[in-house]
Amino acid sequence: MSEPTGFLYPFIEEEERDLGALQGDLVQSASAKIELSHSLRAETVRACAPVIRAAGEAMAERFDHGGRLFFMGNGGSATDAQGAARLFNHPPQGRPLPAVSLVDDPAILTALANDIGFDLVFARQVAAYGKDGDMVVGFSTSGESANLLRAFEEAERRQLLTVGLAGYSGGAMAGNPAVAHLLLVRSDSVHRIQEAQSALIRELWATVQHHLGQTGRP
Amino acid sequence: MRPEPLADALAAAAVAMARRFASGATMWCLSPAWPEHGRHLAVEFVHPVIVGKRALAARSVDPADVTDLLGLARSGDILALIGPVGPAADGLLRRARPRGLLTVALGPRPPSPSPSVDYVCTVDEPDLILAYHVLWELTHVVFEHPGLLKTGPATGPEACVTCSDQALPAEIRTLRPEGTAEALIDGRLQTVDVSLIDAARPGDVVLVHAGVAISSAIETTGAS
Repeated sequence: MSEPTGFLYPFIEEEERDLGALQGDLVQSASAKIELSHSLRAETVRACAPVIRAAGEAMAERFDHGGRLFFMGNGGSATDAQGAARLFNHPPQGRPLPAVSLVDDPAILTALANDIGFDLVFARQVAAYGKDGDMVVGFSTSGESANLLRAFEEAERRQLLTVGLAGYSGGAMAGNPAVAHLLLVRSDSVHRIQEAQSALIRELWATVQHHLGQTGRP
Repeated sequence: MRPEPLADALAAAAVAMARRFASGATMWCLSPAWPEHGRHLAVEFVHPVIVGKRALAARSVDPADVTDLLGLARSGDILALIGPVGPAADGLLRRARPRGLLTVALGPRPPSPSPSVDYVCTVDEPDLILAYHVLWELTHVVFEHPGLLKTGPATGPEACVTCSDQALPAEIRTLRPEGTAEALIDGRLQTVDVSLIDAARPGDVVLVHAGVAISSAIETTGAS
């Protein structure tokens, strides 16, 4: 199997045999990425602390009044949405909280995508399930996912609480009135953004649990 | 930079995985406790976030369908295990090496039976996404070195048959008269001597040294 750019390096790479050198490079590269991810996560959690506080408090109040939480995202972020729903539903400690990931049902996703369009796969579910006091949290790295933006607009119309997670400069989620709380990871690496977002959602969950603990309700 | 054991483990796994992918492997991703991580790992490889990186075959498997993997996976494929795998995957793990699968595990603790796992990357849950992202990134770095994709053993570090005391797991497929059997070793059918062990049956996994089965079945879930 040869790379399309292989013609640029005739014979040289084919003859490469120094596995030790490559392994050294790989270890160094991995260590650098691990370190970068850890520092970005710490910085992001620090920078987002006020938003996490405000969103966490508002969410705790909604949970206390029977509110439910809907998660959404695309691709790897869809799995992060599923992981977040698991964290809220089955927490390692604290109160289990009602959460649903809107990416879980292939019948609903493919029906909406096929019949209406992929831009509406989450908005239509928000319209169907969203009731007074519910909440929507969306994971995006670019902040540009059309189906998340449409769902946030639908949620805002229905007065659901909205929380957006985005990277880069927030894309179309930044300064968007439909996104009440924006948790921004200032990075341009999709992978590092997702890693920091998983730390943000844990912080948000911990903040919600903290506020629920203070209300003294079961 | 402080030494990072996770970096070492990921680098070693990435070289082995890239070699398998270069030979046409599919990676089967299994995370019984945290299924979303199995899906996330698979989508990283199938639909790279960096434009221009090649798409590699990867597929997550529903935890309820663990045994389906024995039919789906082919010799040369990769089995990626994330997080606690539980007893449901024990049989799969014991058959992985006889069937020629490379196994890579990521999680807080090595899965048991851990000797069946080729590469173990020990990582706590908050760093799990980071770990498989880096694994993807490193795998593609290895792809930039085609000369190194072809060399080295085709299987994991513990499968070296030149070592004097090496016993290999073998899955018995067909019993033959005179105390021999056709058995899968490292994905290839070979004739082994089963006269020293008791009541071997098709489907049993036994340990084989120098063509002779030296242990009774370490896995007996029947033929498949």
